[in-house]
Amino acid sequence: MSSRRRFDPWIGLLVIMIAGPVLLGLGFMLLYSTGLIGLLATGFTMRFWTQVLLDGQTWISLTYSALIGCASLGTSLALALALQATLGARLRTGALRGLLFLPLAFPPLVAALLSVELLGNAGLLARLAHAVGWIERPENFPTLLYTYAGFGIVVTHMTLVTPFLLLLLDRLARHESVAELEQVARTLGASRWQAWRRVYLPVLMRASAPVLSVYFVVLMGAYEVPLLVGGQYPSMISVLIQRRLSQFDMGTRPEAYVLASIYACLATGLLLVLFASRGWRKVQERGA
Amino acid sequence: MIRRALAWTMSSLLVLPLVMLVLLSLARHWTWPALLPTQLQARQWQDLIADSSTLGPVVLRSLGMGIGVAMLATALGFVSSRSVARHPRQGQLLVLLHLPFAVSPVVLGVSLLYTFLRLHLAGHIAGVMLAHLVFAYAYAVILLSGFWNPQVQSLVELGISLGARRRQVWLQVLMPLARPLLLVCLFQTFLISWFDYALTLLIGDSQVATLTVTLYQYFSSGDIRLAATCALLLLAPPLLALGINHRLLSATVATRLEAHSD
Repeated sequence: MSSRRRFDPWIGLLVIMIAGPVLLGLGFMLLYSTGLIGLLATGFTMRFWTQVLLDGQTWISLTYSALIGCASLGTSLALALALQATLGARLRTGALRGLLFLPLAFPPLVAALLSVELLGNAGLLARLAHAVGWIERPENFPTLLYTYAGFGIVVTHMTLVTPFLLLLLDRLARHESVAELEQVARTLGASRWQAWRRVYLPVLMRASAPVLSVYFVVLMGAYEVPLLVGGQYPSMISVLIQRRLSQFDMGTRPEAYVLASIYACLATGLLLVLFASRGWRKVQERGA
Repeated sequence: MIRRALAWTMSSLLVLPLVMLVLLSLARHWTWPALLPTQLQARQWQDLIADSSTLGPVVLRSLGMGIGVAMLATALGFVSSRSVARHPRQGQLLVLLHLPFAVSPVVLGVSLLYTFLRLHLAGHIAGVMLAHLVFAYAYAVILLSGFWNPQVQSLVELGISLGARRRQVWLQVLMPLARPLLLVCLFQTFLISWFDYALTLLIGDSQVATLTVTLYQYFSSGDIRLAATCALLLLAPPLLALGINHRLLSATVATRLEAHSD
């Protein structure tokens, strides 16, 4: 048998179809943003890169996206953990068993539309507040959407992510036999809180870490929800890129490509770090 | 008692968005501060069905695109996933498969727009479908990689030892075995295309009107009633699937779990 592996056309197709567009796109963005191609191309220049890298908005937008991603994931995870610890087996019985899948049927665009109708100043929550006599007019209701803090984005993401995490944690808990481990801890004298904090939580967090990390990257690059319920400033990175690209002034187009290149490199780097750390952990586990 | 009340509250909250959408799409008058619409009408739905010049083709176009992407992605993904599962560098290929999801549809759409314009694919259904296929194909391979376990391999070897040809192994051993998973894959990849907004907007160059694009247009023009109607249409396939079989949607959880716990 030959020591060299034969070329597999299906792997070739996979690389062309999946890595191809990403690399092609990245290459194009680099050429366009350095003035080598495009309608306004005047030859090689680092002007657009310097402009974007020195522009505070770039770093604000990237930091804001990371913070919103963290806040969305953190609050969703906290809520899912609390609900899972409280409801336990009840999640798998009765109407709740089927209804938990319902939010998985909602695309971000529809979730954002619902947020506007529920959390807006004339939304259902404001109407309820009026019905119980807390407010008189819509403007008396606190502004929850289009805010600087991104409250609307976080809440909308929470409604989408929490049920998914709840289902995921429930599956993981059964997969990792967490209930049995918790029982052993209780038998050995741990209080309910200690068993949850020292056994239940670390096991579930360790098992769900890879999914959570990928989810964080996805939430950081979210587009539809911040577009519909986010404020004008600061913008999440996907929205900022799209805005710069669709501006009437063609001069902002290379800047959009610089931003997109930076984000693509950061997200790919994060993904590589995630997979590399998983590989490293596996090696450590095998060695232990 | 507390658990029961919490479970009941949660169930109500999970149903609330759907009820809200139905009410929004049927409301004739729902002005501040009414908690419920003061007048209902089915006009939005009648308009939707009768208005063959706009929304009818939009739904058909979205369905056609979704079905096309799902069939292509599942077919290609099934064969490719076998190669990935047997490849010595499976871990690196898994990183590659996650690449489009990491860079986000907006960045991918922005970066591919120029190339697609040069290839005359921007602004065309084929171009948008090709862009959707990048995500759907990657997803299909991730989902179907789990199918190729030692038990399946043993059955393939048994088939070959009994004289089955390659084609027969695929059609009479592998396809029947993988059928439930292939159905899940078809449905999930259909949803990737059906739910997409950013790629369709960018690669479609605002000329390929799908249900998501139309929903956004209604929303931004302030027509919440029609936006809610579009939203309900958008939810119809996944809700139908949820009614038929949880597994079609629960695969979303299972896939992510399996793909990241290898």
